[in-house]
Amino acid sequence: MRQVKTLVRKEMLDILRDKKTLVMMVVVPVLLYPLIIIGMSLAFSYMMQSQESKEHSVGYPVEYQEMVEDLQSLYPGNAEADGDKASAEDAVNAEHGKDTVEAEHGKDTADAEQEKDTADAEFGEKFAELIFVPAEAGEEDSVKEATDAWMEISRAENGAWHVTVQYTSSDETSSYTGEALADLLEAYREQLLTENLRAEGLDEEFLHPVVCEEEDLTPVSESFGMDIGGSIGMILIVTILLGAVYPAIDATAGEKERGTLETLLTLPVTNFQMILSKYISVALFACVTAVLSLLSLGGSVAFLMFGLSPELADQMGGFSLSTLLGQLPLLVVTLIVTALLITALCMCFCVFARSFKEANNYVTPVLFVVMLASMTAMLPSVKLDYRTALIPVVNVSLMVKQILAQQFDAGLVGTTILVNFGYSVVIVWILARMYNSEDILFSDGFRGMRLFQKRSEIRKGTVPGMGDLAISIAGLLLLYLYVGMAVTVRSTLAGMIVTQLIILAVPLLVVWYMKSDARSLLRLRKPSVRGCAGGVLLYLGTYLLGLFSSMIAMQLLPQSTQNVEASFAGLLEQPFPLLLLLMALMPAVGEEILFRGYLFGSLREHFTAKTGSPLRTRSADPANADARLRRERVGCVWAVLLSALVFAAFHMSLVKLPATFLLGAGFAFTVWKGGSIYVTMALHFLNNALSALVMKYPKQAGKLVPLLVKSEFTSAEMGILLVAGLVFAAAGIAILTRKKERR
Amino acid sequence: MIEAIELCKQFERSVKKGRRTAKESFLAVDHVSLQARPGEIIGILGPNGAGKTTLLRMLGMLMTPTLGEVRLTLPAAPETGISKLRSAGYDADSERATISAAPKWNACHVGAGEAEAGGNLDFTEQAGVVIENETAKKAAIGYLSGNTKLYPRFSIREYLRFLGELYGLDRRRIEERTEEIVQVLDMESFLDNRIEKLSTGQTQRASIARCLMADPQIYILDEPTLGLDILSADAIIRFMKEQKERGKTVLYSTHYLEEAQFLCDRVYMICDGRIVAQGTPRELIAQTGTESLREAFHSIYEGGASA
Repeated sequence: MRQVKTLVRKEMLDILRDKKTLVMMVVVPVLLYPLIIIGMSLAFSYMMQSQESKEHSVGYPVEYQEMVEDLQSLYPGNAEADGDKASAEDAVNAEHGKDTVEAEHGKDTADAEQEKDTADAEFGEKFAELIFVPAEAGEEDSVKEATDAWMEISRAENGAWHVTVQYTSSDETSSYTGEALADLLEAYREQLLTENLRAEGLDEEFLHPVVCEEEDLTPVSESFGMDIGGSIGMILIVTILLGAVYPAIDATAGEKERGTLETLLTLPVTNFQMILSKYISVALFACVTAVLSLLSLGGSVAFLMFGLSPELADQMGGFSLSTLLGQLPLLVVTLIVTALLITALCMCFCVFARSFKEANNYVTPVLFVVMLASMTAMLPSVKLDYRTALIPVVNVSLMVKQILAQQFDAGLVGTTILVNFGYSVVIVWILARMYNSEDILFSDGFRGMRLFQKRSEIRKGTVPGMGDLAISIAGLLLLYLYVGMAVTVRSTLAGMIVTQLIILAVPLLVVWYMKSDARSLLRLRKPSVRGCAGGVLLYLGTYLLGLFSSMIAMQLLPQSTQNVEASFAGLLEQPFPLLLLLMALMPAVGEEILFRGYLFGSLREHFTAKTGSPLRTRSADPANADARLRRERVGCVWAVLLSALVFAAFHMSLVKLPATFLLGAGFAFTVWKGGSIYVTMALHFLNNALSALVMKYPKQAGKLVPLLVKSEFTSAEMGILLVAGLVFAAAGIAILTRKKERR
Repeated sequence: MIEAIELCKQFERSVKKGRRTAKESFLAVDHVSLQARPGEIIGILGPNGAGKTTLLRMLGMLMTPTLGEVRLTLPAAPETGISKLRSAGYDADSERATISAAPKWNACHVGAGEAEAGGNLDFTEQAGVVIENETAKKAAIGYLSGNTKLYPRFSIREYLRFLGELYGLDRRRIEERTEEIVQVLDMESFLDNRIEKLSTGQTQRASIARCLMADPQIYILDEPTLGLDILSADAIIRFMKEQKERGKTVLYSTHYLEEAQFLCDRVYMICDGRIVAQGTPRELIAQTGTESLREAFHSIYEGGASA
């Protein structure tokens, strides 16, 4: 730990000493936000003001003078400004009498002022000063040229007006004039309508027999939080991202480029300490940057909202700074966890780059993916639940929205924070363990990954490396989530099929591309009797243990079971054979190929030894061979556990996590020792078929095997489950391992 | 003592086969075994691309051998190497530094340098400890090459303090050592400058200071005099001689054969990853019937090429 502390101090000093970049990355954004936000809005309101104070002229054919006078009379200020048009002023009071009763009491200037105020309040600020320019016949074109807008007027026989407002939308003043004119005409229409109705002796309500008004019962603060929460989450995530990217590159590829990494690796520092300290420093830096940016951003928005216009603050109602401050601690925790995760992601890619430029190239796609994911909260229907809470970045984006809308569930928030923290820990741990100094220092970058090589350059029988695995699984996950979701929205059935095909296709494609030996990698071999027997027993054991763990998990997290059942609801109406195909056969084949064949197989090869090395035969030291065997065994156990973990994570259910993990580990073990993937395919099929049966025909299945549908157990029964599970599992493991030793 | 036992390093290279290029693996270092004892300066000689740097990197724990082993044996005397680290609480820090007692050193040829080293270290009698932990190995090795750069944004003083902390020295000890090193290398005038502002010679001295801070038992220097002026190069040579006199092991690669001839106790000549000749410079000159190491080098490599 002391080493890490020293290293972290060094990293921080190194980052902070790089003044130029620091200024560009931190100080400039912090200063720019207020500048952009306050400056922009000030400029905007100034522009509006300048438009309002400007003269806007409208040309019209002179023969419609009368109608234009009517229009002008709608705008009392205008009528008053033209002092000589006293008749127009009278007209205002006559026709507009209903609204401006007080105007009749006196006609001194003070009254006129007041009248203008009321009119302003009535129509808002829509009515700008418009100057109407009459065009004599023949001089229309020159008037059109000189004015900002033009009214083409005609009158139908029944007295209805038809006005075409001609303006240029690309010209600021002209379009402003056009809009103001349209507003004016609308008011004119209303006025004529009211008059006409009154003339017919009808009430205004005649036109509106049904009046519909909406009343949103959400407190203003909540709906406001919902509205801006989505974008706040995105801004938060993106600022962290931008804060993390530069130091992440600098601390890894930058240090490699400067040649100081080689020096660092000659020092008595383990890879773990090195990566951990770099990680901590970068995450710390990202956090600080993010907090600073957020404060500056939030500060300027708050200044704008509460400082500049008090009316706006009134409209916000309950949503005040104090509510926001109350949520600040939670937001800060979220921010830190997000920074940890995003830093881990960035470092994952930067560690392999040899130069700053290369690292930049690697990070760009990460930026895109993270930004896309951070926008999830802007989608209206996506909510934070126990499923979305497991997807990194997306869950943060959703949670920020929920927090700001003040409707969060402590369990979900806790899950989100834990999940993100967990992901970061796993990523950093894998990074630190997987790569030794040599890989970090002298690696070929991503060119070292075979997936990025030309297929013709790949030797036959190549096993996918860790990098290939990570990339292909990540790609698969993206496809699975996005393509799968997109299709599922249209039809659950099609979604099922597509996702299953993706699961099957990706590993097979990679295996084909790498020219791997499919038979040995995926263990496509004839099952042995012993393998079958052991596999079945181990499966029974893990099934019972899984049931046991699910029961416990269910008690801890009661809500999330309904989710799973709801998502299958549409599917259950399908005929049983189809159900069997979709829920049992396809997953059995696809998931076994992916997790036990491709993933476990590659991990197994990776952890055991570099097979095919020409050097292997030269060392025939028996002590060495023994040690190697032991190392291989430990490696295989790691492979079993890791593949099971991915398998469990893939099912995206917290309740089922321990059960799927156990099942995955059991299956992987069976493939390892039993030597055939067909056994686990069959067992996987059986497992899924049973649960399909239970879902489709709960009653009949319950009669057949009561254990399948039982949802509550007494503690004695739980004990039996545990013991039986352990016994079966132990028996299975014993049978499976005995074979190996006899050989 | 540092030993290479059947070290191999496999790399891949592209080979044009007909119309397509294919990857082919080859051994950059091919079953190399060598020994470097305390009080010896060992020269690694060979043309460019012979595998010198790869070999030294494996010895310096920067690369993992494809096959073979690097064995590090340190005298179990107090206040040296690993025991110092230990007393500084180094491996108490959950470092899994497994230090197993090794058999007594074989009665190996004691070079002239060793006898001179004398002092409190009597290597022929002393039981050494074989260091197995990689981090502990790194702590015992000072590795210096053209690629090991120093943090440009630090001053030498800050850098040395950072190193001292990593090696587990306390603050007082760090200051003392910094003072000593500064005296020896005459660095007072630029001690607090940022490293990026230093000249080539000053940077090189700073690099030596880095190695000295840990006071390792073994120095591995990859072409340390390359591209230096005569004064700086002399400083490096003086430094190596001093270390030898203090009973340290020095392994270094170079292209300057005259330098190697008067400096090295023994040399290994490497070609295509294999050792093609080894011995004291005098032995090699005698074997090839030439007058200098340079001529011996020519004769060995040209002989190898024609054979």
